Amino acid sequence: MMTKNIVSYGVYLPFLRIKRDEYVNALGSCSAAIKEKAVMDIDEDVITMAVEAARDAIADVDISQIGVLTLASTNFPYQEKVMTGTVIEALRLNKNVLTCQHGNSALAGTEAFLAALGMLEQTEQKYALVIVSDSLSADASMDIEHGFGAAACAFVLAKDEPGLEFEGAYAYTGESMGLRYRLPGETSVRDIGVKTYATQAYNDTVKNAVWGLLGQLGRNPVDYSHVILHQNDVKTASALGKKIGFNEEQMKEGLLFNLVGDTGACSAMLGLCQVLDNIASNDKVIVCSYGSGAGSHALSFKSTNQLLKRTKSFKAMLNKKQYINYIQYLKLKRNI
Amino acid sequence: MEGVAIIGAGQTRYGDFPNKGVKELFAEAYLEMLQSVDQSLDPQMIQAAYIGCLSAGSGFQLGQLAPLLMGHVGLPNVNAVRIENACASGGFALYNAACAVASGKFDLVVAAGVEKMRDVSSSKGRYWLGVSGDTEYERLAGSTFAGIYALMAARYMHEYGLKREHLSMVAVKNHKHAVANPKAQFRKEITIEQAMNGVPVAHPFNVWDCSPTTDGAAVVLLCNAKIARNFTSKPVYLKGFGAASDYLAIHDRNSITRLAATRKAAAEAYKQAGIGPGDVNFAEVHDCFTIAEILAYGDLGFCEEGRAHYLLEEGVTQLNGKLPVNSSGGLKAKGHPIGATGCGMACEIFKQLRDEAKEPSRQIKNARFALSHNVGGSGGTAAVFIYQRGDE
Amino acid sequence: MGAHISIPMYQRAVPQRYRLAGQKCLKCGKVNFPPKAVCKYCLTGAEFEEIQLSGRGIVYSYTVIAGGGAPPEFSEEARCKGKYPVVLVELEEGPRVIAQLVNPPAEGITIGMKVEAVFRKIYEEEGVIRYGFKFRPATSDS
Repeated sequence: MMTKNIVSYGVYLPFLRIKRDEYVNALGSCSAAIKEKAVMDIDEDVITMAVEAARDAIADVDISQIGVLTLASTNFPYQEKVMTGTVIEALRLNKNVLTCQHGNSALAGTEAFLAALGMLEQTEQKYALVIVSDSLSADASMDIEHGFGAAACAFVLAKDEPGLEFEGAYAYTGESMGLRYRLPGETSVRDIGVKTYATQAYNDTVKNAVWGLLGQLGRNPVDYSHVILHQNDVKTASALGKKIGFNEEQMKEGLLFNLVGDTGACSAMLGLCQVLDNIASNDKVIVCSYGSGAGSHALSFKSTNQLLKRTKSFKAMLNKKQYINYIQYLKLKRNI
Repeated sequence: MEGVAIIGAGQTRYGDFPNKGVKELFAEAYLEMLQSVDQSLDPQMIQAAYIGCLSAGSGFQLGQLAPLLMGHVGLPNVNAVRIENACASGGFALYNAACAVASGKFDLVVAAGVEKMRDVSSSKGRYWLGVSGDTEYERLAGSTFAGIYALMAARYMHEYGLKREHLSMVAVKNHKHAVANPKAQFRKEITIEQAMNGVPVAHPFNVWDCSPTTDGAAVVLLCNAKIARNFTSKPVYLKGFGAASDYLAIHDRNSITRLAATRKAAAEAYKQAGIGPGDVNFAEVHDCFTIAEILAYGDLGFCEEGRAHYLLEEGVTQLNGKLPVNSSGGLKAKGHPIGATGCGMACEIFKQLRDEAKEPSRQIKNARFALSHNVGGSGGTAAVFIYQRGDE
Repeated sequence: MGAHISIPMYQRAVPQRYRLAGQKCLKCGKVNFPPKAVCKYCLTGAEFEEIQLSGRGIVYSYTVIAGGGAPPEFSEEARCKGKYPVVLVELEEGPRVIAQLVNPPAEGITIGMKVEAVFRKIYEEEGVIRYGFKFRPATSDS
């Protein structure tokens, strides 16, 4: 049977950062347990970040062999438009690649990944490119906004080429509003604002997805070197990880919320990128997304080979930054 | 080729005139030109008119502006055409008028320029200032017209050690010259400290490095040199005229510390006049930004490329220097009504070479040859003229 | 009010704007960017092969546009940033291009500094985002 493997990946973090202190100084408090978070510049959007992350991922890949492009974001710049077209032109991909866009919730990232796995069967080409790029937005007056960050990551999936082999997925989806939602035409999410309800929704959904996957593969938490859970904050994610049976060592490299903020559809996938920078052969990884209430996808991977050598390390990207103050932040968010 | 003489010249004051439109400005300059012709002239003898203008009154008359203006001054039936090469529109109007006379086709031709820039909102004004570069690339880089010249200035500073202070020396000099010129927009001296510390525009430029937006018009009357003395005892001969173009976009040019168009136009003009840069007694050069005058020194042969700042340090181009440049105040202080500028320079030289400069304090004495230099945009086009006094 | 570049006109230049597609003269082998009908180097070649420019180059000259004077279509960006740099970049392959510089170094821009192309929003008109290249200081570890 054909194996499908991540053979290359790329990351884009905006250059600008705002520290938690800026919120505290300006507003008296900050609702998010971040140290700092990534902020898009005025001339950036999820498409520009997607292109940059993808360029990073395909730098050493034969792009003529890419037959699938899937793109995910909860915050596309257009409500109606084929945005994969922009990406295809910018990356000079074949115009006959199979494409799809995923949005509407933070589940979009793993949806795009799973879609690419399926679509890869429909193409003669060897590779699929998955791009997850997200930035969250809410009115500056809302507490929920404090944690909202921005980032993009991209993965090249290959047929039968050693790398990070996809082993299986388990989905768990029900009806829950969770943390937040957004109505058509609105640029700001709405905050459900019921903390224990939201935490319970997260815990139930993510836990069921991860347990489901472990059961399906006949594995235990100890079989994994790394686990990356979607992070609306570090504390809840870590607490749940421990409850499921993972230890801090397994989780630490996947935790990014305190440095980049809530990156929505990107959250778990971005954690995977940081893990991949130092992954060892035969390491197993669980990645679990969470779509703000209703659903989770748990994905299992096994490292079979060195991935394509990368020119930029994740750590270097985290360190390449410029801090802005809260007023500059508001200007960027068009609130001044 | 027939000889070409200037027998009349007139211009409005340059400035901000809410009560005057393109037609009124043009008429004012035209009527002053007629008055300057000291012997009898029947205006109906004028055969053609070349009128430089960029925005045609901020776009209200982009089509057929020339017949509109000529009809307004009682000459509805001449061969009238609008000439557009951005800031060199006036220069190219003059060049085409000179060629028309030199060819023998016409004996009496108007060369003119007009621009009405001060009656639009600042955002529309910025629009018109940004349409003469390679819009698709330069403008979409977020650059302004000042930004393009600023790139040249930064490179010139890098290559030749030009200092910020030298840029300001151009501004100070030209403002000083404009004080005595009743036609100038700004008749106020500025100090070097002021000039170096203005509001930033585009690094290394501040507001004092930039020419203003201006309303104004200028009209000169050319005739076949053979009949010049029928109209005046003091004609000014247009001994040489050259014009050239270059890549419009700054990124396409090999060097950005010189304007190839100016060099080619100057070579053509000098050759035709049979003189060299050393024979020029004074000049009106295109100083839309301070660096433009500095580039012009090298491009016109007043100094070697990269050594313009020494001319400034030594005061060579001051009114009382060996080679006064921009006795009018230049675009910087006399003002820069885009389409009018090239013809306005000819007006200044016409007056100077006839010893009629107003006020007399700024009259350049014993001058025989003068040069004017008009540039389109950032150097996409340029026209250069050599004038010789005719009362010798 | 901007220098109006229509949606179709913008689209025709997408290969140049989105990914710096250059043209290699089949006669003299030199690389033109932006495209020309006749090669700007040999002045005779009129047939070209499309090549992908690296986006890497050095700053040939630079300026910093002060907010108040920005072209109207950049006024929002200027308002947000106060000022922004524009650079003339000499690309590895030879051509020079003009574009904005993002993430300018705190110690200032210098002629000769290494830069690389980056994909950004250039401006928005008629509700359509016009994407294209800008430059940023070259990342040291690449």
